[in-house]
Amino acid sequence: MSTQTTTSGERAALLAMARDLARHELLARSVDLDRGDREAIAECWRSLVGVGLDRALLGERHGGVELSVRDLLAALEELAVGDGGIAMCVLLCNTALATLTDEQLSEIPWGARWALVPATSGTEVTVSDGALDGRIECALGALGAHGLVVILDGPEPAAFAIDAGAAGSRLERDVTQMGLRAAPAALIELADIDCPCPAGRAPALDGSDCSNGMMSAANARALLRAGTAAIANGIARRAHEMALEYAHARQQGGVAIIEHDAVSDMLSAMAVRLACRPEVGAGRFGSDMTADPLGLAIDQKYALAVKIAATDAAVATTTDAVQVFGGTGYMVETGVEKLMRDAKYCQLFPEPNWVAHDELMRSERAGLRSGEPEQ
Amino acid sequence: MTPLARKQRPLSEDFPRLIDGGNALDVRELERLRARARRFAEEHVSPRAMEIDRRTDEDPSWFDWDLVRAGAEHGMLSFLIPKPAGGGGGLSTEAAVVMEELCAACPGIALIFGAHALGISPLLLGGPSQWDGVLSELVCSERTTRPLLMACAITEPEAGTDVEDPDLLARARITSHARRVPGGFRLSGAKRFISNGSVARWITLLMPTDPRDPAHTWTCFLVDASSEGFSVNRVEHKMGQRAAHAAELALDEVFVPDERVVSREGDGAAATMIVLACSRPPVGAIATGIARGAYERLLVWLEEDRAAKGLLERQHVQLVLASMEEEIHLARQAYMDAATELDYRALGGAMRHPAVRALGHVPAGIRKRRSVRGLLASDRMRDTTISILHRTTSESAVTRSVALSSMAKARGGDVAMRVTGAALEIVGLRGVRIRAELEKLWRDAKLCQIYEGTNQLNRLEVYRGLCRRETIACLPPLLAHRSAVPPPDAGVGGSREKILAGENGGPR
Repeated sequence: MSTQTTTSGERAALLAMARDLARHELLARSVDLDRGDREAIAECWRSLVGVGLDRALLGERHGGVELSVRDLLAALEELAVGDGGIAMCVLLCNTALATLTDEQLSEIPWGARWALVPATSGTEVTVSDGALDGRIECALGALGAHGLVVILDGPEPAAFAIDAGAAGSRLERDVTQMGLRAAPAALIELADIDCPCPAGRAPALDGSDCSNGMMSAANARALLRAGTAAIANGIARRAHEMALEYAHARQQGGVAIIEHDAVSDMLSAMAVRLACRPEVGAGRFGSDMTADPLGLAIDQKYALAVKIAATDAAVATTTDAVQVFGGTGYMVETGVEKLMRDAKYCQLFPEPNWVAHDELMRSERAGLRSGEPEQ
Repeated sequence: MTPLARKQRPLSEDFPRLIDGGNALDVRELERLRARARRFAEEHVSPRAMEIDRRTDEDPSWFDWDLVRAGAEHGMLSFLIPKPAGGGGGLSTEAAVVMEELCAACPGIALIFGAHALGISPLLLGGPSQWDGVLSELVCSERTTRPLLMACAITEPEAGTDVEDPDLLARARITSHARRVPGGFRLSGAKRFISNGSVARWITLLMPTDPRDPAHTWTCFLVDASSEGFSVNRVEHKMGQRAAHAAELALDEVFVPDERVVSREGDGAAATMIVLACSRPPVGAIATGIARGAYERLLVWLEEDRAAKGLLERQHVQLVLASMEEEIHLARQAYMDAATELDYRALGGAMRHPAVRALGHVPAGIRKRRSVRGLLASDRMRDTTISILHRTTSESAVTRSVALSSMAKARGGDVAMRVTGAALEIVGLRGVRIRAELEKLWRDAKLCQIYEGTNQLNRLEVYRGLCRRETIACLPPLLAHRSAVPPPDAGVGGSREKILAGENGGPR
């Protein structure tokens, strides 16, 4: 991992590339991507690899483009305008790779897609004598990935890297996956998987953790939340764009439907939610560059808060967008109902929002107990 | 899907108005109908719901006729048909009770039977003239291995919500046209999003006889889907409720004889309002059933699944469950209130009118004689039916009924979305089976905010009927009054004009 950060010019160029990719490639393939079509996903992945978004956080020696977390989040939002599932693949891959050691990274072939898999310690996955056992349902992006990094929650978060096809692991497609289908989900079964060397560090990132270029499991989870918020923002932007365009074109009772308060009220509510959305790409991530030159120190509480706010807003906006379209919006070919499904999955990943609220309150309570209420 | 195990309270306890407005016999019949619907849902609908959803996602034109046959065996195709025609003689209340039961199991499958009932509804307004034609044919077919389905076609490619409102209809972009020819009409144009449109044998279809004046020439026709010139353009790929097809229909000079004009030429806008007053409480019930289905599945999962261990102890979960129970209860009260208002107050008098009851006692064999049939299908008999309607109800009563129906529909749709969304959030991405079932119900729920008029349009109906206490011109005019200028307060056309002009806070 590099200590360099992108300049504003590089950042603008990257965002332009992500925007271009979303508009011209992802949107054009959205039907195939929503079907979870392997070929379409592979082709989009090749394009993302071409611009370095598969290992955006890594340094040059690992073939990365040395983005900060902030820049990655901004790029994710742009990609999600094109397809939330593909943006999720980018997030999962970057987070997974960021938890690996230099040695592990050096063995990963160029262009390989990895996926981070959050799991509940004890109920879903157990660790005993360095061996993993368990069953994880609906692991987004896991199907077809070259490798997985399983991160466990709990008081001492930990991450474990597993090669796809490792002895004792079994992946089965989750055929019921409703949203973010371009990040194909799998049912993962782990039986006595030998993981002598955890990929990430526990419990939290500090200066010493950064020294060998690894991201801790706790920070990986926070990045997952912030990234999901960025993706939700992108999905909501696309829904608003589509609804606005349709409301101008469609007529009811002799006038464009945007002229009806019943419709314009919904469009206005969407615009308000978008204007007030948490700008995760410019938020409190790596803001203290002296203490955290990599920009990887993520404010855990802020990540939870933006994830909850952005995904709730995205569900409301996409649901309203379908309503603006009426019966037309309920039809798959319009592409707007897909946004509603994708947004709903953002609300449920990496944990449902009520669980995220719970975690937020745990840290609030912890702050009160230590006598240092957080800002 | 998960068997629905919860015991239900007797209808008479939950809805005292059923006793006040009807009689104990009605309630017992309603209980029996509900039990039959529940049995059908448990034995046939629940076990097939997920598989049908998957298959119709892969191929939207796939249709499960076996399920229709099973439904026919349980009387799900005839409960709305008048008793003299051999049916169950139900109205909006019966349709609503059946819909809640079926939708708790699968809203898509329920919609097949709901859309069939919607197709029948305009024929009920035709009175005795309709008993011995298609309605008795439907009853007969229910006892065979090839039951017939019905559909109702109103929406057009360029006109959706506005064809469900008499005032917006005047400015709607109607592209269909029924042209008068000797002996009947030639119908041309397209109809869109027609539930059961691709599988129905008979379709009650609304179209103007003068496209320049759709509001006053909107007419209901009974179209035989095997007619020359009738075709199905395509079956839509929907987000949910997939078991029931939504089809785009094309009509190219389809001939409809005079005797298959339902009611009279130009009465279609009024008929649409009454039909929507009848069909919106069942849509509220569809939504309530969806919410109940999600709630019951969530409860079973929380109580029995290992992955949910400890969740029921959490106050957050308890509060969410309590809120679901509350919302479902209120949504059910709203649809039953609307349905009983319509059946017992707004339209009950017409349905129980002595003349109608007397005709019902005439044996079908006599009614089917050519001379009697000719009399029943005559313009005079149609006018008599409308006259009975005028004597037994009023436009203000029907307007209030429409508003209550709209309230039940809009409220139900919102409740279905909230409850299914909240249930899904409690479960999260855990549990493949429960998640898949809840996701399906969540996708299904969204349609309840859209069909039978969007929730926004329905709330405007609530404003007109209850907040503003307007009276909509929603009864077909008596023949003698047809050329008369409508009284100033007879309709909301004027006020809607104001709304469209930017007054009253409506569309600018």
